[in-house]
Order: sequence, then structure tokens, then C-alpha cells
Amino acid sequence: MHDKLIQKLEILSDAAKYDASCASGSAGKRKAGKTDKTGIGSLTGGTGICHSFTPDGRCVSLLKILMTNYCIYDCHYCINRVSSSVRRARFSVKETVDLTLNFYKRNYIEGLFLSSGIVGSPDLTMESMVRIAKSLRLDHGFKGYIHLKTIPNASPELQAEAGLFADRLSINVEMPTQPSLNKYAPEKDLGAIHSSMNTLKDKIAEHKVDKTHTGKRPPRFAPGGQSTQMIIGADGSNDKVILGTSVKLYSEQKLRRVYYSAFSPIPDASEVLPLKPAPLIREHRLYQADWLLRFYGFKLDEILHDDMLDMDHDPKLAWALRNRHLFPIDLNKADKMMLLRIPGLGARTVQKILTIRRYAKLSWMDLTKMRLPLQKLKPFISVSDYSPDIHLLDSNNFELQFKQPKQFELFSA
Amino acid sequence: MKTITITSVPGYDEWRTASRECLAQSIPPENIIWQSAESIQDDLFGDSEQLMPAPRGQVKHSIPKTVLMLIQYALCHRDVSRFALCYRVLWRVVFENKNLIKLKTDDDIMQLITLAKAVKRDAYKMSAFLRFREVVHDEQEHFIAWYEPEHFSLEVKLDFFQTRFKNMRWSILTPYRAAHWDTEKLVLEDNPDPSVFPDDDRIEKYWLTYYANIFNPARIKKSAMLSSMPKKYWKNMPETSLIDDMIKQSDARARKMIVDGNKR
Repeated sequence: MHDKLIQKLEILSDAAKYDASCASGSAGKRKAGKTDKTGIGSLTGGTGICHSFTPDGRCVSLLKILMTNYCIYDCHYCINRVSSSVRRARFSVKETVDLTLNFYKRNYIEGLFLSSGIVGSPDLTMESMVRIAKSLRLDHGFKGYIHLKTIPNASPELQAEAGLFADRLSINVEMPTQPSLNKYAPEKDLGAIHSSMNTLKDKIAEHKVDKTHTGKRPPRFAPGGQSTQMIIGADGSNDKVILGTSVKLYSEQKLRRVYYSAFSPIPDASEVLPLKPAPLIREHRLYQADWLLRFYGFKLDEILHDDMLDMDHDPKLAWALRNRHLFPIDLNKADKMMLLRIPGLGARTVQKILTIRRYAKLSWMDLTKMRLPLQKLKPFISVSDYSPDIHLLDSNNFELQFKQPKQFELFSA
Repeated sequence: MKTITITSVPGYDEWRTASRECLAQSIPPENIIWQSAESIQDDLFGDSEQLMPAPRGQVKHSIPKTVLMLIQYALCHRDVSRFALCYRVLWRVVFENKNLIKLKTDDDIMQLITLAKAVKRDAYKMSAFLRFREVVHDEQEHFIAWYEPEHFSLEVKLDFFQTRFKNMRWSILTPYRAAHWDTEKLVLEDNPDPSVFPDDDRIEKYWLTYYANIFNPARIKKSAMLSSMPKKYWKNMPETSLIDDMIKQSDARARKMIVDGNKR
């Protein structure tokens, strides 16, 4: 019997590994109460703990599994589509609950990230998933993290119930446009996905309202918000389309995060898919651009000069190279928004600079002590005892010095 | 010259009492030799008599909370110079500049932050990489972990473990100290016997199965893994025994995915 569980775990964790959205953060703090004699777990606030790292450099924070990889849909990019010949398995509600608790008690994980293929119908699938979350919370007093990947087309009632037990809900849009969805995921409908997201958005917002007129707080609802994932490089969408979709998802559906996953070849692939993996550097650049949009005050048209991001330079450096007339910037005088735009300065460093500035003038020595990437910063900044050679920024081959050696790509031949 | 010996680890309470007295008597940092029990060296000019308790009613120096927090972390570091450094910072905050802590490029502050950061990281890694194994005594589950922190990080994370595993019986063993929790009270024990740690656990094979299957062999990034999980931590983590084979086989596995993908 045990061996059977190992086999299921092999199949259903292997099937979940293509989903990048496994962080366990931003759901606030939570712990078992003083009088609670059976509950287990806590949320520490901030980002969840990474309990291990795999050789692909990814953090292992949650038990990330599929409830089942049986599926009635035929999404081409997905290893579990109905036409694939992959081995199939299904966890029972109890097996999933026990595995989560047993892993949690040994300090392997922060919680559960549960996704699933569609068995029977979207509602039947979603109902089982909700039962797992409900059992963890109500039968076992589980206070750890739960992320449910909601099933597109499941009823609004089930989605609403899911939000009562989960810390985060997500629906993958997978492709940035409806034409791409039509081609690669014929059963998925962008309009339906957006309307699910909007329903959840309203529920989440309802809870954020401090108190109702009766003085009671509405029940906790997915405090970690929603996230989604797009596959990069399987369809022909360019970076402008992809980032444009992200900007909308952030502003209209109020998503907490959009994940980008470079298409990587899957066993038993469908024939409409490309044979080669998408370059990881593209995924990396999209994440950098996403960060600039959310935390650095950049607008989409500032980041994108063409339809595609510059692969040779990170998007902030690329912007600076196009806007050399704004530099050098005086670190002792510039405002925060401007400091954030200097290549080589992260948000934390900017905060540090602002603090020091209040009490002392920044000199070159301070920069070395802060271990900043001086080679990169040098042409763009000035401090009390340093300003760059003015010819540096104007020289023709200026940007060449930032070119990185070509990255080794797996199977590039 | 005054010599102060801190006999316990990490030594926060002793250091605080001694520092209070020294501050009250206005003994400047350069006139104190701090030593810890593990590094006692006879100092020819040291005067190791007990400090006189400060008379009551002395001026109380107010120390910003952020400074005390940093000092508390820094004192859990193994560096023996920590006691002297923390007293020097205290002295300078009181007599030189109460905003000293804001000067992030001051040498003492940088050193203090370096120590505190190292301890925070070490403590974080402990909360992340520590693994419990289960034993059953009289039909009751008891979870035991053996972990070797780089610094005195156990005390930093006791709150975390008590909160998260409040209703579990557990013991965390480190080379210098163990903490035992019976769901109600915490008992500390110095220099515990490491052989109490069980050799096996009934769930561990599932964890290893999960670890081996959740990674994507088509995107090996060994350096990213190593920067977040350096080899020094591996000895306490059962899954790390799989890593070498996972990397060796990854290329073949990834190629197989493509070859399989082409058979159509």
C-alpha cells in the first residue's frame, strides 16, 4: 500500500513541477490560539520560508502537487491533456490531507499548493479540492499556507467557498490572448477566466473593508490575493503583448503576482508546439520588467522600445542607455523616484541612501562600503567627491561595456 | 584596565548586566577587556575583580530600541569580539551620537550589522533546513531534530518553533544546547547527547520522492541552488543525498523529454 502512495506521489509531483507560482507569501500572520489544543502551524508574515532548494535553483516551500492528472481538457502545452499518454494517478482527500500534515510536522514545508486536472466536471473537481482545504482547516486546525489553483468554469459558489479556506487562489491564463488560447487551449475562455478573477477580486476586497455596519469583520477570504501564470514562447506573442496583459491583470483584476514560465519541452508533446525550449533569459527579462512596473515607477512604454525586450541589457539599463541626457544623477540630491531609475541601485539600496543622506553627505567611500556595483553605477551617478567623465556617457561604444558574454543555452544547436 | 568574563553562551544577559555597570561608572570601551569562557587568556594587566554594582538612582541612559535589537542579534554570533563591539556601540550612542545607528557606513555600525545579519541568516536557515524525525513513546508522537547552527541561533528561533509546533512534543538538539517542548513548557539542556536523534523516519521516503520529482531537469541552475543552500547545510538535510544523482541524470532526462516529444 505504501509503495502505491509513493507511485502516486511520483506522478502527481512530477506533473506539478511546470507551475512556477509556488511562493507562499503575503497572507499576513496566523497561529494557533492559546486555548487551541490540537491546531498546528503558523504564518510568519512576509514571504514564506524556503525549506529546501532543488538543482534547478527553485525554492521548495510548499507541497506542490496535483490532486489528479486525469483531465478531460486537451490543452496542447500541458503534459496532462487528455490526448497525452502520460501515467495517471489520483490522490484521495485523506491521502492529501495526511501527506500535508506529515510533511508539515517534520518542518519540510510551509503548506500545500494544490492544483488538479479536470475529472468528471469542473464542479466535481473543485469540490474535492475545497474538501481537502476544509478538512485541513476545520478537522486539523491547520494554520499553515494553502494555495488552491481554482478550476476555470467551476461555479461561483465553490470558488467563494475555496476562498474561505485558502490563503491564495489562482487561475492560470496560460496565454496572453484569446487567439492563442483558441489554438493551444481550445476549452479555455479568456472572458470566463477574467470574470472568475473579478468575482474573487470583489470577495477579497469585501474582506479588506475594516468592519461592516454590524461591527463584525467579514470572514477571512484569500488574504494572499490571486496570482496567475503565462507560458512564454509557446505561442508567437511578443513581450509587448505579454506585459500589456500583465499590466491589465494587475490594474483591473488586482492580481498580486503574474508568473512567467519559459516554455520547456514536455514528454509526449503535442505537434502544434515548438520543439525548442524558450530561452530562459527571456523569462528573466520579463520578470525584471514586471518588477520595474510594480515597484520602480516605470511605465510600460518606457520599458519597451520595440515589441521585444532587449536581451543583452536588463530593462532598466536599456532605459538608461536610451535616456543618457538625464544622467549623471547626484545621489545627494535626487528624489526617490529618480534614484530608483539608476542602473545598479535596488529599492533597498535607495532606501539606505535616503536614510544616510539625512545625517551625512554621501562620498565615494560610502559607496564602496555599501558594496554597490560601482563599475555599472560609475557613469550614471555623482557624489560629493566624484562625478563621471562627461565624455563617458556620450562615447559611441558606451553600451558595449555592459554587454554580457553570451549565455550558454541548453540544446541551442 | 578591567577584564570582564562572560561565562554563558550566547551571553546576552551577562553582557547586559556588565555593560550597565560599566556605563554607570563611565568606563570607556578602551579600558575594558571582554573575554568569553571558551577563549579565556590570562591578561597580565587585567583586573578581574568583580564589578561593583552601580548605586541605585543613577542616571538611566535611554538606548533606541533598534540598537538593542541589533545588539541582541549580534551577541548570538560566535565572534569573540562581539562583546567589546556591542559595548563600544552602546558607549558611542550614549556619549557621541544618539543617531549613530543611522550612519550605515560607520565602521562600528557596519560591523554590528554584519554580525546581526549573519545571525539572522543563520537563524532563518535553521527554521528552514531543520528536519524532525518522529519517535513513538507510549503511543505518543515525539519529534526530534539534530541541527548544527553556525552561531548561537537556537535562542533566536525558540519562539518560532514554539508557535508553529505548539501542540507537538518536540526536541531540538544542537551541539551546545537542546530545547525540549512538551506542549506546555520549554526545558533547556546544555551539551545534549546527539545519539538521541533517531536514524530513520516513516515519512522521510515520501519527502525524498517528492524532492526528486518536483525539480525540472531541463533547467539546471546549480549555482542558484548553492547560493541559497550552501553545502555546509547539507549534512542536516536528508534530501541532499539525492542531489548528485539528480544532476548527473538531468541531461539524459531532459533529452529524453525532447526525444519523446519528437516521436509523434
